[in-house]
Amino acid sequence: MSSKPPSIAEKQPHAWSSLAVRLTAWYTTASFLLVAAATLLLYVDLADNLRRISEQSLIDELNVCRALVLERGGDSHALHEEVEIDSAVRRYQKFYVRVLDRSGTALSTTPGMDQDLTARRVAEAAATHSGVFWIDSPRGAPYRAIVATVPRDAAGKETWTLQTAVDLTQEQIILGRQRWWVALVLGAALLVCPGVGFLIAHRGIRPLREVAETAQHIGSSTLNERIRVDGYPVEVRTLANAFNAMLERLEEAFARLSRFSADIAHELRTPVNNIRGEAEVALARVRTPEEYAEVLSSCLEETVRLSELIESLLFLARSESPGDHLKRAREDLGALLASLRDYYDAACAEVGVTLEVETGANLYASADKALLQRALGNLVSNALAHCSKGDRIRLSAAREGARVRIEVRDSGSGIPADALPRVFDRFYRADPARSRDAGGAGLGLAIVRQIVFLHGGTVEIASQPDRGTVVSVVLPLSEEQDLT
Amino acid sequence: MKLLIIEDETKTASFLQRGFSEAGFVATVAADGLEGMHQIETAAFDLIVLDIMLPGMDGLQLLSWMRARGLQTPVLILTARDAVSDRVRGLEVGADDYLVKPFAFSELLARVRTILRRPPLRESSILKVGDLELDIAAHRVTRSGHRLDLTAKEFSLLSLLVRRAGEVLTRTFIAESVWDIHSGGDTNVVDVSVRRLRSKVDDPFAEKLLRTVRGVGYVLEAPEHR
Repeated sequence: MSSKPPSIAEKQPHAWSSLAVRLTAWYTTASFLLVAAATLLLYVDLADNLRRISEQSLIDELNVCRALVLERGGDSHALHEEVEIDSAVRRYQKFYVRVLDRSGTALSTTPGMDQDLTARRVAEAAATHSGVFWIDSPRGAPYRAIVATVPRDAAGKETWTLQTAVDLTQEQIILGRQRWWVALVLGAALLVCPGVGFLIAHRGIRPLREVAETAQHIGSSTLNERIRVDGYPVEVRTLANAFNAMLERLEEAFARLSRFSADIAHELRTPVNNIRGEAEVALARVRTPEEYAEVLSSCLEETVRLSELIESLLFLARSESPGDHLKRAREDLGALLASLRDYYDAACAEVGVTLEVETGANLYASADKALLQRALGNLVSNALAHCSKGDRIRLSAAREGARVRIEVRDSGSGIPADALPRVFDRFYRADPARSRDAGGAGLGLAIVRQIVFLHGGTVEIASQPDRGTVVSVVLPLSEEQDLT
Repeated sequence: MKLLIIEDETKTASFLQRGFSEAGFVATVAADGLEGMHQIETAAFDLIVLDIMLPGMDGLQLLSWMRARGLQTPVLILTARDAVSDRVRGLEVGADDYLVKPFAFSELLARVRTILRRPPLRESSILKVGDLELDIAAHRVTRSGHRLDLTAKEFSLLSLLVRRAGEVLTRTFIAESVWDIHSGGDTNVVDVSVRRLRSKVDDPFAEKLLRTVRGVGYVLEAPEHR
């Protein structure tokens, strides 16, 4: 009991077994995913907006040129101005336009366009796309381009081809910078989230750790200690309360167990001491056969007492371990009470006590006959022990819904109120002055409670000093009963 | 009557053998299951007293083996464990009775005699011990010609003692036989009943028939048999 029991955590030092580590991991994952989703969404939205702007602008430019070709017909001056000067002077969003006639000869080209996008390169790319398409220059510069055929006049006999492109370098720079920000935010989140998560988890489970520390200090000699409940969050308070309740029960059980062992030792000591002493004295010198017989008889009586005590203790010990099934049968309670009355009749008459039985007809319980006889017999013995001349004991059984209530009622001396809660405890004697010969070892009612418990019933006791005692045993009725 | 005692605990085996011999039986002891098997195969016994906890082959196995071979010799089981399941198993396997250790030897003797007496001999309706006469059929008791007035239960108790005259009957056995009380609990009650019976049967007469055997029980016998 004095050695410290190894905790589970000590046996398996696996990181994942720590609640703080798990909580941290969950926090980190959750918050990082949130940050990542937000930044990625913003990035995608930005890229999409930029694309739409450049596409719209490109189409605008194309429309301007188309209008110039269509409306001004052969006004090549305006076209040239638009294609070669207006486009060329733009710095931020550079447009390139090339006008080709039917034979593919460039009529007009924005300066610098030929360096990156030859007419042939654009035409080849246009052949596989429709609408706005992406095109890279040989040196890798990104462009968005659109190619359109435009009729030169309303008759539409002659058509020119317009190759329009927009330089995406600026857009790529913006997106590149954005990507860098995204990476920075994600990196920072990766660093910060576990830290914050760990702090939260650590703070969150601190009360648990404190509860555990208190629990660790509690040993068999300090079972009276309790965990401080106030100041903790509700969840932990529930745990601490449950823990305290468990300690309460443990302390009680522990106290009962040590009292029980002491009682057993005491109860065993007396008969063993008698046997030992008598045998020793008898053997000290030669005696007559009558004297030997007397000693042997006395030893025999003591061993009988020992045997009965051992039998009772074993019965109590066994009845607490599950799995020991009862030898149940459908027992007629009326017959059972009648046989008890016959059995105790003489003993009651001897003291001048009246013993009566009152039962309803057809009362059956599924019970182990010998055990039930023993339980009820103990109750009658107990009642008789509290009775004197003129008192009466009444045994009755009556149906109560799906259960049957068996009562042993006496008009004897009763049991003091402060003793009532303990009368079912082992070795408890309400009257300590009652000798062992008169009152047995104090196991009678403990055995009653255990037997009733094994049968799935309950037992209650009520008593008034000088008025008498009622013990009620409530058992489930036999199932066949309900059919009749 | 030949008895086989299969018991590995030497002290127990020895007092059983002595007790049965003194009670008029011929008792053989086997110290374990295998020796018991050997004895059973080589000799015929009227009854076997079998301990359950044996080294090698346990009592229940031995009993199943016997019954499987069609040997119907009555068997009384001795057990240190009185868990209900053990007792039930013993009876299921084919034991005729069982007794839980620690037991009173006279209890064992009474049970052995009960088993050996089955089926009951047709007993005469009138039983006699000394000058005590019991008419079972008429429910009448006389002693030295004087009619004794007994209650029904007192009559059952007396007829048990008379039928088993000379045998020491334990309180437990008496409670079971007369009142059908199998609890093994409070047997002081039997003392009271015996005392009341004695006040009617013995007290008015000089010669005492009903004797208390301290630490064991009661015996009814004519004084000349002592």
